[in-house]
Amino acid sequence: MQYGYGYFEEEHLGQVADIRIWRRLIAYSRDYWKQIGSAIILSMVVIGASLALPYMVRIGIDSFIVNTTIDIAARIEGLARLAGIYIAVIICGFAANFFQVIILEWTGQTIMHRMRQQLFSHMIGLDLDFFNNNPSGKLVTRLTNDIQNMHEMFSSVIVTLFNDFFQIVGIMSILFWMNWRLALILSILLPLITFNTVWFSRLARDAFRSIRTHLARINAYLQESLSGISVIQIFLREADTYNKFVELSNAYLKRNLYQVKIFGIFMPAMELFSALATGCIIWYGGGEIIKNNMSLGELVAFISYMRLFFQPIRELAQKYSIVQSAMASAERIFQLLDTKGTMMSLKRRVEQKDIKGSVEFRHVEFAYVPDQPVLINLSFNLKPGQTVAIVGATGSGKTTIVNLLERFYDPDGGEILIDGQDIRSQDTQWLRQQIGLVMQDVFIIPGSIRDNILLDQDMVLSGLNTIIDKAQLSNLLQKLPDGLETRIGEGGMDLSAGQKQLLSFARVLARDPKVLVLDEATSSVDSETEMLIDRAIESTLANRTSIVIAHRLSTIRRADFILVMDHGRIVERGSHDDLMERNGIYRRLQDLQVS
Amino acid sequence: MPDTDPKESGQRYSLQTVSLLFPYFKKYGVRLTAGFAALLGVDFFQLWVPRFIKLAVDELEKGVATQAGLLRIAGFILLLALGIAVCRFVWRYFVIGFSRMLERDLRDRLLSHLLTLDRVFFQRHTTGELMALTTNDLSAVQLACGMGLIASVDAVVMTVAALGFMIYIDPLLTLIAVAPMPVLAVITRFLSARLHKRFRKVQEQFEKLTEFARSTLTTIRLVKAYTQESPQTMRFGRMGEEYIQQNLKLATVQGILFPISGLVANSSLLLVLFFGGSLTIKGIITAGDFVAFISYLFMLTWPMMAIGWVTNLFQRGATSLGRIQRILDEKPILFDNADGGTLQPVTGNISLKHLSFSYPGQSEPVLDDISLDIRPGLLGVIGKTGCGKSTLCNIIARLYPVDDGKLYWDGRDVNSLTLSNVRGSIAYVPQEVTLFSETLHFNITLGKADASKEQVEKVARAAAIHEDIEALPEGYETRIGEKGVKLSGGQRQRIALARALLLDRPVIIIDDGLSAVDMETEHEIISSMAGYLKGRTCINVSHRVAPLVDADEILVMDKGRITAKGKHSFLLKSSSYYATIYKYQTEAQGRKP
Repeated sequence: MQYGYGYFEEEHLGQVADIRIWRRLIAYSRDYWKQIGSAIILSMVVIGASLALPYMVRIGIDSFIVNTTIDIAARIEGLARLAGIYIAVIICGFAANFFQVIILEWTGQTIMHRMRQQLFSHMIGLDLDFFNNNPSGKLVTRLTNDIQNMHEMFSSVIVTLFNDFFQIVGIMSILFWMNWRLALILSILLPLITFNTVWFSRLARDAFRSIRTHLARINAYLQESLSGISVIQIFLREADTYNKFVELSNAYLKRNLYQVKIFGIFMPAMELFSALATGCIIWYGGGEIIKNNMSLGELVAFISYMRLFFQPIRELAQKYSIVQSAMASAERIFQLLDTKGTMMSLKRRVEQKDIKGSVEFRHVEFAYVPDQPVLINLSFNLKPGQTVAIVGATGSGKTTIVNLLERFYDPDGGEILIDGQDIRSQDTQWLRQQIGLVMQDVFIIPGSIRDNILLDQDMVLSGLNTIIDKAQLSNLLQKLPDGLETRIGEGGMDLSAGQKQLLSFARVLARDPKVLVLDEATSSVDSETEMLIDRAIESTLANRTSIVIAHRLSTIRRADFILVMDHGRIVERGSHDDLMERNGIYRRLQDLQVS
Repeated sequence: MPDTDPKESGQRYSLQTVSLLFPYFKKYGVRLTAGFAALLGVDFFQLWVPRFIKLAVDELEKGVATQAGLLRIAGFILLLALGIAVCRFVWRYFVIGFSRMLERDLRDRLLSHLLTLDRVFFQRHTTGELMALTTNDLSAVQLACGMGLIASVDAVVMTVAALGFMIYIDPLLTLIAVAPMPVLAVITRFLSARLHKRFRKVQEQFEKLTEFARSTLTTIRLVKAYTQESPQTMRFGRMGEEYIQQNLKLATVQGILFPISGLVANSSLLLVLFFGGSLTIKGIITAGDFVAFISYLFMLTWPMMAIGWVTNLFQRGATSLGRIQRILDEKPILFDNADGGTLQPVTGNISLKHLSFSYPGQSEPVLDDISLDIRPGLLGVIGKTGCGKSTLCNIIARLYPVDDGKLYWDGRDVNSLTLSNVRGSIAYVPQEVTLFSETLHFNITLGKADASKEQVEKVARAAAIHEDIEALPEGYETRIGEKGVKLSGGQRQRIALARALLLDRPVIIIDDGLSAVDMETEHEIISSMAGYLKGRTCINVSHRVAPLVDADEILVMDKGRITAKGKHSFLLKSSSYYATIYKYQTEAQGRKP
């Protein structure tokens, strides 16, 4: 069964022999040594059973079938007894195999689960800076595909390693024990087989990798063409699009045919070796029988064992590329786990009590990239309950103010104070609980609307109803058959952009913070929803110290004062009327709207 | 009615479906014939190996074997193996190669077909759905036509031949030996179906995990602001535990399915050991026959396993092929009158006469009896979400089909004009901008690849994006997309505008295409475009009133109808809706515009 979990990144390859990675991997499995131990024991039972069978056939031939020294009835009776043991061995082998699969699956999945949880929790604890530098698609791949790769290795490779290893060693020992001279002759084939296998796994790995890259290219191209199909059609680019696709398609075909060729040589070559082994057994083994050094049953057993011998080798060759890809994944995962946050938290913590909600920015300087300042000497002061509206063009530094207040970043200079305390002296988690953030975006957790409003809090229904009213959600909820219990998100109802906005107001109201940051949405919603949002904003801002990145004039007018930002500086400040009179940037911005 | 029997109609469909492949079987006929000839060769040689082993064993048992004779037998076996190896390479290369070529042909054909389909089709089928078609379904077809075809032919030939040789040795023993085999086939088939189902469940859960991780990471600022790090980790953990459970369920099926073939093969071996052994003891068959019999038995195991697997493979292949067929059967509803006339030049006078439109399968009209004469100049369109503004643009751009006598370009019914003539006269700026993962230069020159550098810069300036581009390290050669630079929504829209301006076409449609551009920049763009628009027809759909105040005409739309039209000053007086949103957007209390 092929696991088609997306594509893998190819930028760097895992070193199969990297001991540090192995050591860390083993550390994860240490808690499960009992399960792994029993899987290994079961593996021995499986191999023991499968190797006993040809040997029993040998006993059957030598002791009963061709043994003319005892009478026919006794020979048949012996054969029946042997058949009884044979059944028992088969069933044992089957049962052991089943339990081994289950135990290893459980162990592998559990270890992967722990690793994924650790990675997830580590990842979302990192600074925002980290998320700005790493596209989320890449991080998701770490959590899903890379972990999945590792699991492939745990379940299939560990089984293969143990089973195949025991099988090869077991067969070799039995062969040497039965007839060491013949076994020695057969051993001459080993280097040939090894060479063929190693050579094959290298080529197959490279071929496979290049196939995946080409497939990813085709899919990316297709995805883009399909989602941009109207553009292609309007701009009459159909022929070009098709021709380029055919090129990609042909390149992919070429890689596939190359892979077919490699497999086409390896598989038959292995069979040729197998036939060579059979030939040797008949020629040399037959000679041994003539010389009475060996029995006929042993010869038959030799042939059967040789057949069993080639199967694990074929598998090992194919598993090599899985190990390599898993090692690459492990390396990427560990790299991520080793990434540390860069933000320092002052250890000296001030006692955490309820705050009043004054906010002050004092000579704040900040740059995401050195020498490209985003905020320059920014100062303003908000008394508890006041609202400030921040306006300015895209890139003027509005969002950065939010990022600093929420302590997603620390300022390069100056300080930010809440209730007169530098926020860097506070516990970050506690700080964030004091500040409500409403953005255009909203994260939906799988669950009901209630779960999504409350998140991890508890609340009585009456309190919740007030919030729903204030957030203007009651209309929507009345229309839904399940009301508050309606499931949203994956597999549930899809919320429109406007509804998501309202939900985010309800969410912040449920947490009732003293300080509120509102990043108003720019996306257009219909005017009815617009009114609802406007009302929700009004009730959310009431009695809170609020910083609003404003786009709506109604919100701006509601503010106690307005800061006009331009290229990281506050260029104007005052009330709407003051600023309109001043005839500056603010006036120009407003005039654009009014014309 | 026979038509209502789903089973029957399904079967008829699948027959029809397979016929989709006939041209390809013909196209690659030589390759397939050679491949299957080689496959027969493999089976033929393979069946002779046990005969030689029997010969050796019999000679050895009777004590008449000689070293030279044994060497000769070993030589023959090696010779046979060589034949097998060569033939096996040939069939693999030809037949699997065929399936890969078929895959390529179908993929190319799919895309080429999709490119001809219209908006109505793409409204019903998401990109994800079509991607699944070209990846999962195509590979299911490829597997069925490659490994499936090989395995089924191989299985049939091997079964018949091995059974033949076994019956030749002893008919009764053959019957006893193969008794457990049908059980294997049945169990495999049953379990494969279940395996497939559970596998799908595992994948669904995996997708849920992925989606949860994705949405958490993309909204990380909020997750942190709400201090949801540990609750979110717990939620992720619960999904992960569910994933473990699904995997264990899958493993129980795998744990039975994969070893079961060994179990059944060994049961057969057991029967042969006892009954065949007894026959040998009684002297009915020779020891060599006994050994050869066991070898043939081994050959039978694989076809028996394959039957269940192959049936599954074919079933999935047929289902997938059906899906592909259904897409290939889709005809564009949009009628391209390839022999139609062309307007030369287009002046940009567009008339709509009592035009109504509703999406297929929906009774509610999106456009309801629209009559309109569009002249060169700026036409503004404003209205609530879902009022039909975008549909109107799409219809004018010929992205949706219209009946005869409804839409005229320069007095000619559009259905009598070629599609490329109409589309070739329009520059279109959509709200959702599509940029390709190529350079900025490529994206701007999408419709005019031979544009000079000066031309490109000129339109980029007009769209107020030139400075943004120059600020990038590689300027116009900067790659965008997943591996390149990320652009803001406003920047993307401005690039789309530049792309449209470069085309220098008589009609330009901006379908809310500046919604993410901030007001100041939008104003800048609109004023810099004034000169460009002279003598052209420009349709500008917008949510904001500000860019429309200077328009020659503004349409106010609601529920698919034009509720008011006229100049800004006129609408302020005559349309209460227009006046309301104007007031709402400006809220200029105490100020007169």
